[in-house]
Amino acid sequence: MEDGRPIFLQIAELLENSILDGTLAEEEQVPSTNELAAFHRINPATAAKGVHKLVDDGTLYKKRGIGMFVSSGARAKLRGRRRDEFARQYVQPLLTEARKLGIDPAELKHMIDTWEEIR
Amino acid sequence: MNRVLTVARLQFVAWPLVFGWPWGILALSFLVNLALFGSIGDVDPAPVTGGLSSIYIVMLVACVTTITQDFPFIIGLGVSRRSFYLGNLLQFGAQAVAYAAVLYLLAVVEEATGGWGIELTFFGLPLLLVDNPVLRYLAFAIPFLLLGLLGIAIALVFKRWGVNGMLTLSAAAIVGFGGLGVLATWRGWWPAIGGWFADQSGGALLVGYPALLAVPLAAVSYLIIRRAAP
Amino acid sequence: MSPVVTVTDLTKRYRGVTALDRVSFSLTENRIYGLLGRNGAGKTTLMQILTAQNFATSGEVTVFGEQPYENERVLSRTSFIKESQTYPSMGVHHVLRAASLVHPGWDDEFAQQLTDDFRLPLRRNVRKLSRGMLSSLGIIIGLASRAPLTFFDEPYLGLDAVARQIFYDRLLADYTEHPRTVVLSTHLIDEVSELIEHVLLIDAGRLLLDAEAETLRGQVLTVSGPTAAVDEFTRTGAELHRTRLGGTARATVRGDFGPADHDRARTLGLMLEASSLQDTVVRLTTARTGSAPAGAEATSKEKFR
Repeated sequence: MEDGRPIFLQIAELLENSILDGTLAEEEQVPSTNELAAFHRINPATAAKGVHKLVDDGTLYKKRGIGMFVSSGARAKLRGRRRDEFARQYVQPLLTEARKLGIDPAELKHMIDTWEEIR
Repeated sequence: MNRVLTVARLQFVAWPLVFGWPWGILALSFLVNLALFGSIGDVDPAPVTGGLSSIYIVMLVACVTTITQDFPFIIGLGVSRRSFYLGNLLQFGAQAVAYAAVLYLLAVVEEATGGWGIELTFFGLPLLLVDNPVLRYLAFAIPFLLLGLLGIAIALVFKRWGVNGMLTLSAAAIVGFGGLGVLATWRGWWPAIGGWFADQSGGALLVGYPALLAVPLAAVSYLIIRRAAP
Repeated sequence: MSPVVTVTDLTKRYRGVTALDRVSFSLTENRIYGLLGRNGAGKTTLMQILTAQNFATSGEVTVFGEQPYENERVLSRTSFIKESQTYPSMGVHHVLRAASLVHPGWDDEFAQQLTDDFRLPLRRNVRKLSRGMLSSLGIIIGLASRAPLTFFDEPYLGLDAVARQIFYDRLLADYTEHPRTVVLSTHLIDEVSELIEHVLLIDAGRLLLDAEAETLRGQVLTVSGPTAAVDEFTRTGAELHRTRLGGTARATVRGDFGPADHDRARTLGLMLEASSLQDTVVRLTTARTGSAPAGAEATSKEKFR
């Protein structure tokens, strides 16, 4: 785990990433709290907190006596939320750095197009 | 009570050491005496070796080392001081009872075989000429208990007050006994003291007075251990 | 949930030295606690008093709702593994047998498995064990005793990184299957920071911090950049430390920081670095003992929440 950020948020994010990239399909069972704790070598209570965060926002749901499952529609919902965060997380620092270096927005757009072509 | 028994049992976890030392040394001492007096031939008067005291001294030393080593270990494992103390008392008591019985039997064998065929008195008690078997048994057992308790008390003084405590205790003992000795010499009491000892029966010296000393010693040890830190 | 341990105004004075100074806290059942602090901070003394191996000068201590002193009901449910533990001259298997007799929850099979994991020679005399092997023996006793309240006081001395990782893994796995209250006193904060749920930080006999590990994470940030911008940012938290180089400053701040604060720092053109639990502890400890700015004392004593 990465330092300096609550671990339960990182656990929640890792599960979200697995759902986004399809590793965890909708209606599929997610690893148990204890499995997560053992795998990431973290306190089980912390792992549980991460899972519960996703239950609270509806990404996961609980089947009594069996475990946690990915809700149907979770992937689309996550994608929507991540798109909203994208600007703040990636575009804003990009613009800040560009301004520091004197790169104007038009030039920046051009750079993006060039890199997209190379890819 | 349960925990007291547990502590008593703990002492026998490494039983070869517990039994091996006292009996090994006693056996060694006995064999040396047997070989020595067997080779010398007839001695007059018949030899009394004093080799028996070796097992008592080993018990005293064993008590000191057991308490000093086991106290931090067993308290560290999570046992109360009371259970530790009573458990050790029980364990030493049981040893004293059993060892005295074995010594008693050996003394009987010694008598029956005419001092192992060479008139050797190794297990016979010199002071005790009475033929009361109970008193004779107690004369083996009670000194064990007294020495055991003495060992426990010394070890606990060390555990509670460290080296300074031991030095203070030794100094007090030297000043106390030395002072009494000087006083006795100065006032010319020695003949009277010698006479008093001579007047006492072997039973009183080996059983009665040791038993009287053992009780306060046990009480003092308990008070010391109550506030000792491992 | 009922507290397993409550400590109220606990003070311990040795000749002229105050080892613990009016310490108060409580431990909740079935959690892993990190008891952190520098050498001589009072951690060992605290655990000794909780296990009735040492005596308080004043204050109240209850364990499982009772006084621990001479109390078999409490003592039989606690296990205290300390670095300075001495053993009588006997074989390793004798020591384990003795521990199994004292602890009602002892699991012999688990002890056997741990002995294999740590490659501990069972037949060797404890007096002939290396420092690391002695530590392993303590860890085996602490884990296999499955005591509802288990203290590990610097249990890893002489252990290499592999053996320490075995300890952490076994502890976590066994804790998951058999939940119990564990107190880990350690210097190696980075190694255990993800295992512990709650942090108790002691410095010079005082309780500096009593907080959830997760709440602490990300609450201490280091920002650097133009002094004016740093000043602007640090206004929202308690400043713990600051260094200057010309017009540039670097400050460590504690506060309730969220994503918005990270954005704000970026907008101000500041470099931002989140502190690890270890850095946080170091900063809090030095902020108090060093020449801390006025007000730092008050903020470092207040609890996170």
